[in-house]
Amino acid sequence: MVGDRAATAAFRLAYAAVFAFLLAPVVVVVATSVSASSAVAFPPDGLSTRWYAALFASDRWLRAIRNSLVVAAGTTLLSTTLGVLGALGTRRIDGRAADVVAGLAVLPLLVPGVVLGVALLVFFSELGRQQELWTIVAAHSLWATPLTYSVMRATFTRYDWRLRDAALDLGATRVRAFREVVAPNVTAGLVAAALIAFVVSLQEFVMTLFLSGRGTRTVPVVAWNSLRNSLDPLVSVTSTLLVAAVVVVVAAVGVAVGLDRAARDA
Amino acid sequence: MSAVARTRAVVVDRPAAALVVPLLLFDLLAFVVPFGFLLRISLSDRLPAQAYAEGTWSTAGYRYLLDPSNTLLSVLGFTLAFAVVVTALSVLIATLYAHAMWRADGAVRAVLIAGALVSMFTAIVVKLFAAILVFSPQGAFNTALVGSGLLSEPLRLVNNAPGAVIGQLYIVVPYSILAVYSVLSTVDESLIEAARDLGAGGPRAFREVVVPHAVPGMLVAGVISFTWSVGSYAAPLLLGSGSERTAGIAVSDLLLRQFDWPAAAALAVVVTLSVVAVLVATRIALGRSGVSSGGR
Repeated sequence: MVGDRAATAAFRLAYAAVFAFLLAPVVVVVATSVSASSAVAFPPDGLSTRWYAALFASDRWLRAIRNSLVVAAGTTLLSTTLGVLGALGTRRIDGRAADVVAGLAVLPLLVPGVVLGVALLVFFSELGRQQELWTIVAAHSLWATPLTYSVMRATFTRYDWRLRDAALDLGATRVRAFREVVAPNVTAGLVAAALIAFVVSLQEFVMTLFLSGRGTRTVPVVAWNSLRNSLDPLVSVTSTLLVAAVVVVVAAVGVAVGLDRAARDA
Repeated sequence: MSAVARTRAVVVDRPAAALVVPLLLFDLLAFVVPFGFLLRISLSDRLPAQAYAEGTWSTAGYRYLLDPSNTLLSVLGFTLAFAVVVTALSVLIATLYAHAMWRADGAVRAVLIAGALVSMFTAIVVKLFAAILVFSPQGAFNTALVGSGLLSEPLRLVNNAPGAVIGQLYIVVPYSILAVYSVLSTVDESLIEAARDLGAGGPRAFREVVVPHAVPGMLVAGVISFTWSVGSYAAPLLLGSGSERTAGIAVSDLLLRQFDWPAAAALAVVVTLSVVAVLVATRIALGRSGVSSGGR
């Protein structure tokens, strides 16, 4: 029994260490972002918001923030639309064909980002459309759509479609039945899908690294480029803002669909 | 009646099935066609002054990968070893943590789940940047260990192979945790109580009750970790030194620095094929053991 208790203690220590490992980046990044010194160091010496002020005075970072938001919004719109339509359509296809559609829909998520980035860079430069924001939206949607599609398929599987059939029997058009009977009941899944797409786009950077240019860099790409030179306090600040944005989104998903279910479905 | 119903079914259902068309069209235009183009370039002849020789057919790109005068074979070897090490550590850590999530109740469980989700949704750049701050010789980790007297001098954990592994773990571990947890959460917790009532100790109950049930999730975690590590780029580049060169880094160098598109494309195709091979092998193994491949 003593050995048992020692094993339990070791187990607690081990998972506490993993928890610390997982959350250390967030703690360190937030702490260094409010540091008063110009060298990035942890723990910070003195508190200050000077780097936040510096960020909002920097054209480079402000443009990156704008690009990130535009790309994330475009990705959310595109991939949620494709995911919802695809999931609805797959319900009406049976057996083997549905497996093929589902497989193709999920496939891009399994291809390494550097390979996708290179493939798209070569392709778009052949078309003469380099460094445009919509090409980044297309790239991000390749990863976001498999996720929105999977979330929406799970959502539609749980929905009781007899409700919609009743609406159709009562004379509603298909579009109206979807809007008034189906949509309100799948809102949680829809919101989760859209937020996941937004977050995937907000943090993706390997593909963007290849596809973006001077005017179209997103926040993670500008952060990466700064990091390759030296540790920059502004990276701490933007990282903190990215983390804050994502925590808000995760909290919203948690409220919308329940944290435990989100963890199991992800 | 049935003829009417069937006609109605066709008329009503055809448009519904057509809803997958935009998705398929998008995947065709943004994925299949660019990838086909990459495949075509990988089979073009290499030219010193140009990106590639348009319209030619050649296996020069693939032969270049095997050429002993460059280091690409050892790059592939390193990539494979790197992916194996990361996968083993990731599955181990993920199983341990997912088990803790599954066994915990109430607030502790919520905190552990939130920890995994926050890490998963923290941008990769942020995690890698922070990993430098935490694990560098003057970083928080070494300061704490040296300060407490556990170590006499700081461990070197960045700008080398351990650094690259730590960085890659930050990318794959959160997803692995959720893959294992999604399987464990369907297991009846009273099973473990029963094992303990029958006299099994904690470690034994874990080994003989939890692990067998977690295997499908561990396999998914392994596949995620392995495929993403074979294609790794950012973590080894930022947290490794020049000798931690993965295939992803080599693809990027060939394309952007050496301007050798056929060789870059050939290497990218090889990386993708090895990822697909692992996926297919796992799929077959899962199919044979009769378990589904889980949430993803």
